[in-house]
Amino acid sequence: MGDLTVFLVLLVLGYAAGTWAEKCHYRSIMEREEQFLHLPVITIKKVELDDSKVERAVLVVGSVVISVDYFKRMLAGLCNIFGGTIKSYETLLDRARREALLRMKEKAHGASMILNVRIETSTIGKRAFRGKLGSIEAIAYGTAIKMKS
Amino acid sequence: MKFIPRQPTSNVNVTKTSAMWEFLVLAGGLLAIILVFYLTLGFAVEMLIPHLSPGIEQAMAVNLLPQIVDGETDETKSRKLQPLLDHLQEHCAKLPYHCIIKVSVSPQVNAIALPGGTIIVFTGLLDKLTSENELAFVLGHEMGHFVHRDHLRALGRGLVFMAISTILLGPHNQVTSMVSRFVNLTELNFSRRQETAADHFSLDVLHCTYGHVEGALTFFEKLTAVKPSHDNTVSFFSSHPLYPKRVHDLKAYCRKHGFTSGNLTPLAE
Repeated sequence: MGDLTVFLVLLVLGYAAGTWAEKCHYRSIMEREEQFLHLPVITIKKVELDDSKVERAVLVVGSVVISVDYFKRMLAGLCNIFGGTIKSYETLLDRARREALLRMKEKAHGASMILNVRIETSTIGKRAFRGKLGSIEAIAYGTAIKMKS
Repeated sequence: MKFIPRQPTSNVNVTKTSAMWEFLVLAGGLLAIILVFYLTLGFAVEMLIPHLSPGIEQAMAVNLLPQIVDGETDETKSRKLQPLLDHLQEHCAKLPYHCIIKVSVSPQVNAIALPGGTIIVFTGLLDKLTSENELAFVLGHEMGHFVHRDHLRALGRGLVFMAISTILLGPHNQVTSMVSRFVNLTELNFSRRQETAADHFSLDVLHCTYGHVEGALTFFEKLTAVKPSHDNTVSFFSSHPLYPKRVHDLKAYCRKHGFTSGNLTPLAE
């Protein structure tokens, strides 16, 4: 009975806190994405540019670590039994990728564009070594090009 | 064509769904599957019991016996009581296997019918008995459980796993010993119907052996007088609940079949 109470408390806490944190995070992501809308972020390596007009080209990196909450983990555990898409982790990865891109953009202050952008994800934490998802890290990196004014 | 940066209107990477609803559907589904499995096991027990041969029952008992008789057994007393059991079995209680009595040194006022035909009588109960008739009633009652195979039903749903693993893997295997660890034999629960049927069987045995049923009712009266002590030694009530209707039922059965009272046979020293 004690174990069940702990489980239910963790589940409700995970759901409430997780949903609230996710809502706040998405609101912040949307605002900042609007703010950085003018900065093109592209995956191609080369663009037709006059080299003499390029002031500098530097590596910019943005990374973020987001933890999965108890409710999402339980939901994913149930999905592991029945199969199908693990929808509870979709928002987690989506938030991590977008946050990493935003942080990379912040780093590229004053740049005209960021080229050759790559995004990578990895799981970290003790659980990750046991084949389970603990926290996820998303890292976005690219080459920021600043043009001469 | 000029590129105009704008935010996408929708997010294809995130499925629009209610996480809580999904959780409830999946958890409910899982619970339903477990429930169906549990109920099926219940039916499987009833279907399995008539087909379990005494041989398989004895092979299963190998794993159960050490759990109950973990303490001291009184071999001398066991040997003294065995002839009475043999006599009852030979003349009045036909069973598919030979029953063995084991006296376990314990303050518990209890007797247990184990799969494989072993009857455990605790010294706590023996000390309360004053006549052979009372002991015969207790043994008859336990044999009644054997006849109706209640002792197998009482093992519960674990019986299905134990029976299958014993049939497939033999008496000494890990599955049976693992499942048997979860079976608490001292707290076996029998239904009222099973208890009544065992009582009736025992009365028949008493009447067949002694020509009267003296001792059966005095046994119950004696047990009712015993106050449950702090160490809960009067467990004959917990595994064989004594309800008012039970004594009334015994009397009615005696009247119906014309069973009479008689002289008690003293307990052999």
